[in-house]
Amino acid sequence: MNLLSDEHPLVIFVGAGGVGKTTLAAALGVVSARAGRDTLVMTFDPSLRLKDALGVGQEAKEHAVRVDLEAAGELHASLLDARRTFDRLIERYAPDAEARSRVLGNRFYQHLSGSLGGILEYMAVERLFEVAADGRYQQVVLDTPPTRQALDFLEAPARIVGFLDSGALRVALRPWFAATGRLKATARLGGLGRRAERFLDEVVGLDLLRDMAEFFQAFSPLYAGFRERASQVEALLRSPRTLFVLVAGPGEERIADTLFFARRLQQAGYHLGPIVVNRVHPEPEEPWRLAAFDPGPGLVDGLQLLTWLGERDRRGLVQLAQLLSDAQPLVDLPLRPEEPTDLPSLADLGAELEDRLADWPRHLRREG
Amino acid sequence: MDLAARLGRLQLLVVTGKGGVGKTAVAASLGRLLAATGRRVLVLEVDPRENVHQMLAVSPSGGAIVRAGPRLWVQNLKPGQVLDDIVRERLKVEMLARRVLASPIYEQFSAGAPGLKELAILGHALRLLRRVGPPDAPQLDLVVLDAPATGHGVRLLAAPRLVSEVIGDGPFGALAGDLAGFVADPARCGIVVVTQAEEMPVEEALELREALASQLGRQPELLIVNGLFPPLPAGLERPEVFDPLDPLIPPAPPPAAAEMPLGAELLTFWRHRRFLNERELERLARWWEGPRIELPLLALERGPALTEALQQLLAAGLAAGAAGAPGAAATPAAGATPPGAGLAAAEHG
Repeated sequence: MNLLSDEHPLVIFVGAGGVGKTTLAAALGVVSARAGRDTLVMTFDPSLRLKDALGVGQEAKEHAVRVDLEAAGELHASLLDARRTFDRLIERYAPDAEARSRVLGNRFYQHLSGSLGGILEYMAVERLFEVAADGRYQQVVLDTPPTRQALDFLEAPARIVGFLDSGALRVALRPWFAATGRLKATARLGGLGRRAERFLDEVVGLDLLRDMAEFFQAFSPLYAGFRERASQVEALLRSPRTLFVLVAGPGEERIADTLFFARRLQQAGYHLGPIVVNRVHPEPEEPWRLAAFDPGPGLVDGLQLLTWLGERDRRGLVQLAQLLSDAQPLVDLPLRPEEPTDLPSLADLGAELEDRLADWPRHLRREG
Repeated sequence: MDLAARLGRLQLLVVTGKGGVGKTAVAASLGRLLAATGRRVLVLEVDPRENVHQMLAVSPSGGAIVRAGPRLWVQNLKPGQVLDDIVRERLKVEMLARRVLASPIYEQFSAGAPGLKELAILGHALRLLRRVGPPDAPQLDLVVLDAPATGHGVRLLAAPRLVSEVIGDGPFGALAGDLAGFVADPARCGIVVVTQAEEMPVEEALELREALASQLGRQPELLIVNGLFPPLPAGLERPEVFDPLDPLIPPAPPPAAAEMPLGAELLTFWRHRRFLNERELERLARWWEGPRIELPLLALERGPALTEALQQLLAAGLAAGAAGAPGAAATPAAGATPPGAGLAAAEHG
């Protein structure tokens, strides 16, 4: 199979933290540009060396930066920053300067927008939408944020729509508070109202409610645009033109996580492409024998550890292949002696990924 | 006061670090270790996928507090469940509580209100320690929290302060203020950062350290460098066979296949990974002030045997720290069993 084609202008890398998603996304971007496709790699949290390799710095948070790569296609890279995207969105969609400064100046927004449920994830998809709508790239490769449950990321648009539809907003937007800072209903409902107010004050705190109401009201002119965009982003993610690559760690103990993830993706209606078991320890072709060296205990112990790792990873791969359907592409990539952190080594990694995929059905039978 | 004693005196120990570095294994091992010293310990996990039980060979918690040994318990916590319990407790009338819990507004509020989940997790730990939680909960001295990965970990610890600054008064404000004081107090709350000696995890550990200093004004108690490849035996640190991957070695003609000693490929791989480890250990030695324990990569599957081995290594590391050997990061010998862990005291770059 082939990851890079006009059938899949958007490829999204998902998987648990620490499995090498970011590096693989960058590697695929490099081979894509080399194949003559104008490509954008969007990433969250690259290492310093990877940023250096791509030649991107802080400015990549504002706009895509051209990577200095000799290739038939152009390679661009951008860094996703939730807070910056959120600010920009408000700047763009606020109906007037007053509404804008009311949201940007709200205490809630300033302190807590970063930790608002799912907002980080949502902002990433928003940015993706901007790029997709722009249409200047033939290939977009997206890295996803390192959440333990990377599906949070995909569910963010649906969650925002759910929130907008839940009625919570309508309630929040009602004019609950009188200018005195007390609940309006208290006066109207008499004793019952006073009890309700006391209860709310005890459980949540009226100050908190007041601040939140103010935040939602300040935000209200933006909702219409939000809702529509969230639905469009949702459609983009579920489109058959969007392909997901699930990156997994090696070893038997990761299998349950990998299967869980793959099933959740498919059940949720996303299009799962290949599963890539990454950073597999090397396995010696034959049992090692060190004729040339004096086999001291340190040497034997060390080689035994490495052999154990290689065998463990191989077992995990075979088991995973047996648990997946024959139609599910599954490839492995070796743990490299050194992490790829420059353009040539990224190109090398990307080419290896492509080779493995091209070789896939045969590759799988060899494993199984 | 030595480090082992200091950790033992804490009430909450937060274990965080980049995803995939072995946080859960370290949290479980620390829990066992501290329970073995006589403390009553709960290992609290907030991942929706349960893992801690596997490290301690008990059945999944399913949200309940499960006994995992002498003075040791585990719990997998759903933050939403804590909020539901608080609503039930406050409302008392079951019918009313059910109506609140079933309302979409509550659902959205509990899932999305900023900082609420974090307050629920920390608040739960505090309630258990103060014995104001569920009446059937065991009496505890210490909660070891297997916290979410780095970014979320900082958010967890910073949430009480942020919320209390924004909200101020009211019961939430008061709870947040209470928790903020607790988290900021190194006598009650400790932070353990777990990492691996590879570029990304080390980078994150250093960023985490900075974030803790700037957002909480405090430092982690301990850094644990997990999963180190063993050093190569004397004489083999430098490649003596053809090594196409090592840029430091001028290319030599490859020996004929028959002359290649078997195992050379593994040896090359080992040398490279160890080199990478050493480079990152050097970076940590330069930039990380404070105690550090190094743990070797072990040929053990995730499970109780690994927990036990790590517990012994951690005990040895803490004891070495107690003996105090500034700057002496004793690296474990190849494939060493305990005492293989070394501890480096503060080193300034």
